[in-house]
Amino acid sequence: MAPAIVKVNQLCAAYENDQVLHNVSFTAYEGDITVILGASGCGKTTLLKHLIRLYLPRSGTIELFGEEITSMDEPEFDALLRRVGVLFQGGALLNSISVAENIAIPLEQHTDLPPEVIERLVRGKLRLVELDNAQKKLPAELSGGMRKRAALARSIILDPPLLFCDEPSAGLDPIMTAALDYLLLRLRDELGMSMVIVTHVVPSIERIADRCIFLDEGVVLFDGTLKEAKSCGEEKIERFFKEG
Amino acid sequence: MLRITDQDQRIILEGEMGMAQAREALAELKSRAASLPGPEVEIDLAQLRRIDSAGVAVLNELIEWGRLNNRTILLQHSPDQLREAFKLFSTEAASTDTQVDAGGFFYRLGNGMVNVWESVKVFLYLIADAAYFSMVGLFNRRGIRKGEFINQAVLIGVNALPIIALISFLIGFILALQSAAQLRQFGAAIYVADLIAISMTREMGPLITAIMFAGRSGSAIAAELATMVVTEETDALRSMALHPTRYVLVPKIYAISITMPLLTIISVVIGIFGAMVIGFVYLGIGIKPFYQEVLTVLFFRDIVTGLVKSLIFAWIIVLVGAYYGLSVKGGSEGVGRVTTAAVVASIFWVILADSILGLIFYFGQGLEY
Ligand SMILES: Nc1ncnc2c1ncn2[C@@H]1O[C@H](COP(=O)(O)OP(=O)(O)OP(=O)(O)O)[C@@H](O)[C@H]1O
Ligand SMILES: [Mg+2]
Repeated sequence: MAPAIVKVNQLCAAYENDQVLHNVSFTAYEGDITVILGASGCGKTTLLKHLIRLYLPRSGTIELFGEEITSMDEPEFDALLRRVGVLFQGGALLNSISVAENIAIPLEQHTDLPPEVIERLVRGKLRLVELDNAQKKLPAELSGGMRKRAALARSIILDPPLLFCDEPSAGLDPIMTAALDYLLLRLRDELGMSMVIVTHVVPSIERIADRCIFLDEGVVLFDGTLKEAKSCGEEKIERFFKEG
Repeated sequence: MLRITDQDQRIILEGEMGMAQAREALAELKSRAASLPGPEVEIDLAQLRRIDSAGVAVLNELIEWGRLNNRTILLQHSPDQLREAFKLFSTEAASTDTQVDAGGFFYRLGNGMVNVWESVKVFLYLIADAAYFSMVGLFNRRGIRKGEFINQAVLIGVNALPIIALISFLIGFILALQSAAQLRQFGAAIYVADLIAISMTREMGPLITAIMFAGRSGSAIAAELATMVVTEETDALRSMALHPTRYVLVPKIYAISITMPLLTIISVVIGIFGAMVIGFVYLGIGIKPFYQEVLTVLFFRDIVTGLVKSLIFAWIIVLVGAYYGLSVKGGSEGVGRVTTAAVVASIFWVILADSILGLIFYFGQGLEY
């Protein structure tokens, strides 16, 4: 079995007083697409934000690339973050600058590449997400789905070995969703990118998931392959696949 | 139409109970239920023809009220429509929020102190971060938004020039006018020049500029950062191994640290010019004697006092704006709230700092002025 790339152990997380995640443990393996699914509000986004240490857990440990991150010091963690791409649920593009400038941020800040090369890289990534014509536009001038794709382009601009996506296909039509799924599969197969992806979209899960982790009210209800998930006999999970 | 009657231990509802009737129905039901001996009160719904979500809420509310007033409310004979509506709208099944015990006086006092201390800690961290990244940024441009310094200098400084110039002129003008009336009685009209030169340089110039900056830039900084927090832009920056303080705030700190002292100087000069106009027109003091009087009264240390003040005000405005912006809670509505709060707080802190600095400079110079 491939080595673990994300390893979460007994993670408890809370916002102020209400605990959202209860002893969550799971492992995502290198080269896999691990899908996190579960009902709205069950804590998927919260989990993802803890994986990049936007919040510190109440208890438990998180390892990325085999390194414990909750106790890591800042410069070390910054260096690690450069190997991680993150697509936020709302896209989170900087609103005051154009799409191309947004996508160029990691390149400008973390590499010594000359501007021509940066521009070329940006155009390349925009083509991947089928946004060739949106370079000069401001995020506010894009549709919700376009913004999502632009944000995806930004999250993979440094070709990170590990990618976190929060609902990449929310707000996309079925055809675009499929196109995006194929793109993710290509990134996995051609670049060996490992991914942890939050999604509700069943057809999408069926296309991309190597493994599924089903969260229910902050508890891991199931962890295994897609096939096992469908036949695991757990009522909530069966309903999820049937209704989706 | 809704008719409420009671019989023995029962309250009978007839007709329909909807949005339009809800308010009166609730009051009526409560008062009737209260007047019955209890502890069980039956509500007969057999004659109720129609109910909507408001009607269901009334019944829910009544049950809740009963629980708090030693009455057990029993709903009876619900027709089918009502039962369906109840299933759809009732809040009974959903868990109601557990009441957090507000606690006694000392508990709340202690809690309040902890919260204040938490805020102070956050603010101190922000100051430390800002100071550290501003120093580092002087030698290493990494991690700071490209081209943002010039941008911000124009936005914060240059664009504020016309309004600051106008207000300074008017303040100098008014101050001179007010003092001229007094000084003239003693035949000491020329001292208008001394008065205005000193007060503009040490006090009014830095203060006017700071208040205008707080209104224009403090609010803008708070709003920008708050919006970035709300739209997760700050999270995104963090995920790209960038620090929001460094990336967004440092260019603003540089810009305001340069533009604010410059604008303060301009404000002082224009304020004195305003006084000069009064001196010339109203007191008959020539431009040249006025100018010479100003030069003899102003010392280097007055100018330094003014500039030091303006620099400190500048940092207060940026940091208070950033603090409020970053501590935004509750979506886009929160943005408006913190923006207003930032302006009020930064003006307050500027004036407080002005008083403290005034005392420091005053005693620091051995009471000689
Ligand atoms: N910033 C916050 N402050 C307080 N509570 C929060 C915050 N963000 C999320 N929560 C709470 O945490 C719980 C989990 O939220 P989270 O966003 O992780 O859900 P999710 O699984 O991503 O849902 P969705 O599929 O709708 O995006 C919710 O009950 C939510 O109310
Ligand atoms: Mg979410």
